[in-house]
This record gives sequence, C-alpha cells and structure tokens, in this order.
Amino acid sequence: MQIRKPGTVRAVSCYTPRKKLSLPLSQAHGWNILSSRCVRSVRQALEDMKLAEALKIIQSAPPDSPRLEVALLCGFTPLHLETFFRAELCKLFPERSPHVQTGLYDDLIGNLQRVTDVLAAIAVVEWPDLDPRLGLRRLGGWEPSQLQDILKEVKRNCDRLQDAIATAATAIPLVVSFPTLPLPPVSFTKLARASEFTLEIQSCVASLSARLSRIRGVRVLDSERLDVLSTGRRLDVNSDLSSGFPYTVTHASALAELLAKLVLNRQPKKGLITDLDDTLWRGILGEVGVEGISWDLDNHSQIHGLYQQLLHSLAASGTLIAVASKNDRSLVEEAFAAREPILGETDIFPLEVHWNRKSESVSRILAAWNISADDVVCVDDSPMDLAEIKAVHPRTECLLFPHDNPQAAYELLEQIRDLFGKDEVSEEDSLRASSLRANVDWRMHLDEASFSAPDDFIRHIDGKLTLSSQKQPLDSRVLELVNKTNQFNLNGRRFQEQEWRNLIDVPNVVLVAASYRDKYGPLGKIAVIAGEIVNTNGGNGSSSGKRRLCIRSWVMSCRAFSRLIEYECIRWLFTRLDVEELEFDFVPTARNTPMQNFLQQIRDAPAGPHCRLSRAQFAENCPTLSHAVEESPNG
Amino acid sequence: MAELESRLVNCFATAFPELAPQEIPSASMASLASWDSLAGITLLSLIEEEFGIAISPDDSADLVSFELIFDYLKDHPQGLRSEAAE
Repeated sequence: MQIRKPGTVRAVSCYTPRKKLSLPLSQAHGWNILSSRCVRSVRQALEDMKLAEALKIIQSAPPDSPRLEVALLCGFTPLHLETFFRAELCKLFPERSPHVQTGLYDDLIGNLQRVTDVLAAIAVVEWPDLDPRLGLRRLGGWEPSQLQDILKEVKRNCDRLQDAIATAATAIPLVVSFPTLPLPPVSFTKLARASEFTLEIQSCVASLSARLSRIRGVRVLDSERLDVLSTGRRLDVNSDLSSGFPYTVTHASALAELLAKLVLNRQPKKGLITDLDDTLWRGILGEVGVEGISWDLDNHSQIHGLYQQLLHSLAASGTLIAVASKNDRSLVEEAFAAREPILGETDIFPLEVHWNRKSESVSRILAAWNISADDVVCVDDSPMDLAEIKAVHPRTECLLFPHDNPQAAYELLEQIRDLFGKDEVSEEDSLRASSLRANVDWRMHLDEASFSAPDDFIRHIDGKLTLSSQKQPLDSRVLELVNKTNQFNLNGRRFQEQEWRNLIDVPNVVLVAASYRDKYGPLGKIAVIAGEIVNTNGGNGSSSGKRRLCIRSWVMSCRAFSRLIEYECIRWLFTRLDVEELEFDFVPTARNTPMQNFLQQIRDAPAGPHCRLSRAQFAENCPTLSHAVEESPNG
Repeated sequence: MAELESRLVNCFATAFPELAPQEIPSASMASLASWDSLAGITLLSLIEEEFGIAISPDDSADLVSFELIFDYLKDHPQGLRSEAAE
C-alpha cells in the first residue's frame, strides 16, 4: 500500500491479488478508491490521533464561528477524552466552534439530570458508575460474599441510569457509551473462565443498552465497532489512580472518534449504482451465458449472494438501487427472469444496460432519481470504469468490488452498510422507489398532455394533500426532509436535532408537514414549512394588527415537483393561519433554483432576502388548484 | 541536547499556547497560572507521547518546571526516542 499524504488520506492505491486497485494516482483525480480492506489498513498505518495533534486542531479552530455546545458526561475525569472529542468535533464541524461541557466527578446520573442548553449530550458509562467497587479508586471489597450485593447494586443503577437517560433524551439528543474497559478481577474464577457474576453483569448492561436503543433520541455506541478501532490496551492504571482518568491515550482517541461521529449523525447516502458482471453475480454474462452466472456456495461465489442480500435490504429500507452495466440488455433481462437473483428487478430502478460509457448511465440515473452525485455510491469491479465515472461525476463515491477476495468484499459490505446506515426506517422509505417509478409514468403522461393546459392534467390525477401542524413528538422524517432537500429549499439551512427543536418549540412558530398521494400512488411526507407568526405592529401572535408569517424553513422533495403542491401549501397558510402576508427567509444557494423560480413567478419579482408575498399578489398569480386538502393530527 | 530542548519547547507550546517562545524556558507551575494539575497531566502526556517514555507517578509530582523536566529527560536518555530513529 502506498499512502501519499499521511494524515489526510486523500489518495491511496491498494493491494489486491491482481493489483487491480493500483491505478496511477494522477488518473484518479484525488478520489479515494477505498475498498474497506484499505480503510482498515490505512487506519492502522496512520494510527490514532495523537494528543499533540488534537490540541493543535483545537487551537486552530476559528474562534469567532458559531458555538457548538455539546456535553460530555461521565463519572471519571474526562481529561484526554474531552480533548480528543473536541478535536474530532472541530474536524466534523469545521464552521463551528465546539465547546464541550463536562459535569461533576463521580456523579454521572446527577450530570445527566443537570444537562441543559446543549445541542447533544454524550453519556460515557464505565463500571464504577454501576458500582464503585468495580473501579480502582475505591476499596469496598471483592470478597465472594459481596458479589451478589454488587450485582444487586449494578441492577439498581442500571434502572436509575435508564430513567435519567430517558428523561434527558426527551429534551436533548443523547449518545450513550457503555463500559469499554475490562472488569477488574473481582470474581474468584480464573481469568479465562467467564464467571456467572461477570456474565450476569454483562447481561444487565446488554439489556439496558437494548432498552435505551428503543428510545427516540438515544443512540448507543456499538462496542463491536469500537473493538475494530481500539485494539490495544485500554485501561491505564497509573492514570486512573493518579488523576481519575482511566483510559490509555489511544483508547481515548478511538472512543472520541466514534462518539463525535454519532453526534454528527451524518445523513446517509441516497442511492447505489451497481455493476452486474463479477459484482452482482460471478461471471461475465456475455461469455458464460444465463446459466453460467452464480452467487452461491457451490460455485464459490457466495460473496455475490451476500452483496445481493445487502442491496435487497437497502432497497427495502428506502435506498435507491440502479444498475449500470456494459451488457446486452435482452440477455440481462433474461438472466433476471430465469435466475431470479435475490436483488430482484422490482428493487432496481433504472436499469441502464448498454455498451456506452458508464458515466452516461450514471448521468441518466441521477436524472431519473433527481438527486445529486454527492448522494450516490457506485460499486463496480472495474477500476477503469470507476475512474471514468469519477472523471465525469467527481462527487460520487466510487467503491471497487474485489470479486476475487471474499474477505475484502465482505469488508466492502460493511462499508456500504455504514454509508447507508440510518436511525430508523420510515413509511416514506418504503415508498421511495415505487414513487420514483410512478413519477416517470407521471411525467410521460404530463408530456403527452396538451402543453397549453398542464393544469388540466393536474386536475385529472386526483391529487390529495394532507397537512399536519403537529409539533410533538418530534417527527424524524420532517427533520430528514429539511436536512436532505436541496432544490426546493428556501435557504439551504441545515439543523442539528436540538437546533430544530429550539426553532419549533417557540410558541408562535408554526410547523406544517405535507403528505401527498394521487392516482399514481403515495409520495409520503414531501414538504415542510416552519415559520413564525408576527404582528406587523411589532407584537407576536394573534393580537390586533396585520398578521405575517415569517417562513424560516421551507423544503419540498423533488419527487413532488410539477404538481402545484407549493401553491396549495401557500393557499393553506393564508387561509388557515389567517395571515395577510408571508415573508421568506430566502437565501440563494448553488442548488435552490427551483425555489428561486417559484418565488419569482408568484411574486412577479426576483427573489431576495426577506422578500414578501401578499394575499392579493398570491391570488393574482396562483394557477387554478384542484387538490383535495385535508388536515391530520400527524400528517 | 539542542534537539531535546527544541522538542520539549514544542510540547510546552502545545500545552500552553498562550506562552511566548522566550517565556517557555522559565515556565514553572509557580509562575504560570494556567499550569494547574490537569494542565500538568496534559503536558506530561504530551512529553510521554513525544519522547516515547512512561513517566512514573512518583516522578510526575516533581516535574513542575521546564528546567526540571529538561533535567529529567537528560537523566533518562534510555527511554528517549528520537524522530530520526523512527
């Protein structure tokens, strides 16, 4: 392996048995062909962040940028964990100035009860938080006769922790890490034998983790992922005894990295474009024929079956899956019909199969999906095809399928799961692929309709809009829409969960979520508006004077374009909220041209910051609307 | 020795970014308000990381100035790892 720029990992070439990954870096345009084999190797090569590096990152953070308040709560001295955590936040949030609040020593539950005014909180639980006798700084006794009492205390503290975490999570997103250190030698058995005591304690913690993971707003750190990153000694006895900080520097670095990632909670990628031959299945279809391709144990091609199984699972949880393959289309259709792969044709849209360049296929797929290249991952066994895609669509993530190395391919599956990982699967996720297909039908019919009367066509599709203005409980789909939508987006502003809560919890702020369906099927929740009602005399709310709605956030999914839904939403706002004027917190972005065009059309004037729309202007410029509109408590 | 001193100065500069370079050689826990117990632990951890050594808790208690740390490092050459050797 060659690492050109240690510390930044901008470009690597990787070993595979056939050296297929050793593309000249000059051809790779700075992209990362990262098989997951490389990811792990690169991590090992670069090692964890050093303490000096972490301090320098913190010291170089821009001091005047907006603060990012996060709480790091633990029962021990946070010391280097705090340093690394802050450095990781600086890396993940380069435009913010991270401030890490910590609590009191030896009072994790009290710290959880007191936490306030932060965007997220981290609770790091270690064994002494469950019973001080499980730490090194107390001498409460490890006699066999005490083990039952320790176990009882652990159970009691697990219950207390659950209450404290669940209560805190109603107001603040919480990340929880359960004990990462080995238990001290409390039990009487040899170290190699798991004692009943140890297993019972671990069972208590596992059970608590599972209960907490079901609570909305709580994200539990995966200890298996930490095992991958933190492979050396974790407990630093000297440090624990002298300062109350129990971690080695390397363990603190690895733990901080994962905790910060969970705070960021990066949006998942939206679509995956896969090759077929030697990727979705083993074999070159044009050479071995329909019966020659395989994805099973007998043909030593099980890894392709696992890949199909993962993609089928992604499709079922809302990820868009398309195929880009240089192949004979009729042969591919025959293969899908005759061999019935786990990833079926119904999971795939669109199917780009021809002999033209892969980048052309990707362009057409992006157009059909109406999403940007940043949100897409391409998987192919050909480095050259990936390089060709990357040259035309530099923002796509291109991953090589190492078809001749099942271990590396398996690690690729893990990497793909990570890129598409999400907190929960919503109703909209299951609708996404089918509604995209329906959208194509819909556009075909729209194109066929008389150009002079597109509104007539809209009238005949039986559009039904369901609007909800419920603020609680927090709807994760609403926040997802706000943070993922680019084109019909008022200002491109993104929100951490707590920032969003802070916005909508203000009493005179109105939140409207819109769901849509027509004769082509449901689109699910597709639009969100959040705005503040002000009285133009200066006061808030419904006191005397002219009422205005100042819209802070307005997004609509691109799947819902061209149905006049945006007009219907505005009509509802004027009618239902009894406002005389709308003010738009508009900011032009590189991608919100549809929003700019809409505001220009409806106002008869270019869109600008804080531009307004009166009831009279809207009545003059609004086309005829014909949706059935209903209100629902939850959209 | 010059290399050792230069590396030690870097550790101090990282732990106490408010110190001017010329102030570092005379820095001590008594003269520097920001050198509290936690800052002291951070400083010694940086030194352990930089020089590849482990400082015992007994020794840590005595390392309360640049000069004392410099002398300590000179007296423990067996643990020192130079960058060139890595």
